Amino acid sequence: MSEQRRTGDRGLRAATPAANLVLLGGLVGVVLASPSLVIRLAALGSVLLLAGRSGVPIGSFLRSLRFVLVFAAILFIAQALSIREGVPLIERLVRITDVGLRSGAGMALRFLVILSSSFLFVHVVDPDRLAATLIRGGVPYRYGYLLILSLRFVPFFQRELRVVREAQRVRGLRTSVRSLKAIRGAIRYTFVPVLVSGLMRVDSIALSMKGRCFGVHRTRTAPRRERFGAADGAALGCVGLLVGLAVFAGRGGWT
Amino acid sequence: MGIDVRGLRIHYPDRDRPAIDGLTESIGDGETVVVTGPSGCGKSTLCRAIAGFIPELIPARVDGELVVGGASVWETDSARIAQQVGYIQQDPDAQICTLRVEREVAFGPENLCLPLEEVVGRVDESLAAVGIDHLRHRETTDLSGGEKQRLAIASILAMRPRVLLLDEPTANLDPDGAKTLFGLLTRLRDERAMTLVIVEHRIRPLLEMGPRLLVLDRGRLVRRHSRERVDPRDMGLRSSGAEPGTTVLAKDRLLSIDGLTFGYDAPLLRKLTVDVRRGEILGVIGPNGSGKTTLLRLIAGLETPAAGRIERPGVGSVGFVFQHPHHQIFERTVSGELAIDGGQQRPGEFERWLAEGRLDGLGGVPPLSLSLGEQRRLTLLTALRRGPELLLLDEPFIGQDRRNVDWIVSQIREHCARGGAVVLVSHDIPLVGALAHRILYLDRVPRFGAPPDVFAELRAEGRTAFLPGFWESDG
Repeated sequence: MSEQRRTGDRGLRAATPAANLVLLGGLVGVVLASPSLVIRLAALGSVLLLAGRSGVPIGSFLRSLRFVLVFAAILFIAQALSIREGVPLIERLVRITDVGLRSGAGMALRFLVILSSSFLFVHVVDPDRLAATLIRGGVPYRYGYLLILSLRFVPFFQRELRVVREAQRVRGLRTSVRSLKAIRGAIRYTFVPVLVSGLMRVDSIALSMKGRCFGVHRTRTAPRRERFGAADGAALGCVGLLVGLAVFAGRGGWT
Repeated sequence: MGIDVRGLRIHYPDRDRPAIDGLTESIGDGETVVVTGPSGCGKSTLCRAIAGFIPELIPARVDGELVVGGASVWETDSARIAQQVGYIQQDPDAQICTLRVEREVAFGPENLCLPLEEVVGRVDESLAAVGIDHLRHRETTDLSGGEKQRLAIASILAMRPRVLLLDEPTANLDPDGAKTLFGLLTRLRDERAMTLVIVEHRIRPLLEMGPRLLVLDRGRLVRRHSRERVDPRDMGLRSSGAEPGTTVLAKDRLLSIDGLTFGYDAPLLRKLTVDVRRGEILGVIGPNGSGKTTLLRLIAGLETPAAGRIERPGVGSVGFVFQHPHHQIFERTVSGELAIDGGQQRPGEFERWLAEGRLDGLGGVPPLSLSLGEQRRLTLLTALRRGPELLLLDEPFIGQDRRNVDWIVSQIREHCARGGAVVLVSHDIPLVGALAHRILYLDRVPRFGAPPDVFAELRAEGRTAFLPGFWESDG
């Protein structure tokens, strides 16, 4: 059954969702707890390295993060410009200090690690396997399937939105958000058809689930438990290494 | 497992008349029954009632008796019915609940709390039965229409039902896919002694299965006949008036496509050269995924060619009617929908348009509350109202009964008689064969020419499902 690793999966894709969850929690915990820039850089490097090892093309991974990167840059600049304490490095026009730069870099790196590790998690973890893990962990199966159904609807809504926008173009309809009236028109012309499609789809899926006895019993057959393998060991080892480094950095006063 | 219906009456709360009105019929164990009839005649309602969805999941007032396998549907737990009756909806994509093929097939047995070994066994067996074992690790969103249809059947087979209900199973399949599906259903029925109830408009290929045919109209059973006595009117000849066009085509071109190349991830259309003349109906046929809808999108300017040219000399505007009408409905009322493009209306103009679309008296009604056939007529009317010279139609006949098909055919012909042209994408091969002046068959090697020439080439290649004779009455 598909809860087992599939042939060809490598890196974090071959690891269990539980190991990936621990890795995500570890990365987020380390960058939130450790004030060290070196540790945060190491965490970011780990995310990129793991993405590459897991068969996620780095180019497309960075492209999917472009808004995150832009926002991180804004955070960095805002911090650097707003902090007045410390040794001034630039004083013409604006005052930039070493503390400001360090603080900006720290905040931007923290933001980047949290977001990029979450993106990596979504890239490499099969939602079916994640739901099975959550259900096995005690989450009621109806909620576990909510996750799968939500993901099932993502491509559907993307496709419907594209079709409705094309229908507007074909009819010569232009939508804008320049006035309240225009916003109302845009909502009606865009969201109503998409919503109607969504509701029709919900009806069909409800019939399909009911027709296959979903929700009839309090439990359902649990898929086979996944065994830990080398990829899980590597993911947990990575977390252990980062936590160890963070503790060492804290004791050694690394900044 | 047999089905007995006695004086069945089903009335939805928001409708004037019952969807099923006093139906009485018996379907024997292991029998194959095809249910046909015009849109809104109660075919799908009958299936949903047998599957136990009415009134538990779909509210309606029910009277009469409906007995499946000796037990009244009204008094039986829906979970128990689901283990005996499998219902496959018209759009297979709309009933897939999970993200991977294997998980989808396991979904039902897992809900029954069966031991894991049995779930695995049922998954293997069901995937093998429909011939998609090789797809078990694929993502459900990556499957083609035909593969999704097989997956829907496999996921129902895993519940081991004794009765299989299929609601227009070929609506989204190309002719090859439909032919393969009919073969699969025949095998399943013979090997598993299943009772099959198939709602279908295209009857001719199903006759190989030796079914009984029930014809419904306005919720009533109007005709029933065995294979030997099928009335040609009920055989799927949905537009008896659609005779081959005899118009001599004008020389001026409304559309000229030269060396068109386009693809998404992989090449789809390669160096395609086609033209459409004033007054012409160009029929576009071909397998699922061969680029038929993409071609319409390119002509409409919604996509940009990778290479080649698309020219529309002298064409002011293009009308494009999508496959699903609800995508093109935006306003609160039918009149609002007709007025959406602006412009001055002459007195009585709306009434004339509504009458033309057989939508009289519906001007103030919310368009999304109309039936599928009415919505289709409305979207075609709104497209025609803009006065396009070139009209693009994407599968306009899906889910339409004979009356609606005849109306659409009349609009196409009138449009061409006024000097316009139509590019018609459809899987309805007999209709395309009868209507089109020229046919474009899209596949790896496209074919373009007069219908007899294109069909002769397809016949020589053994593509029998793309020939009108495969779908038409032999009586």
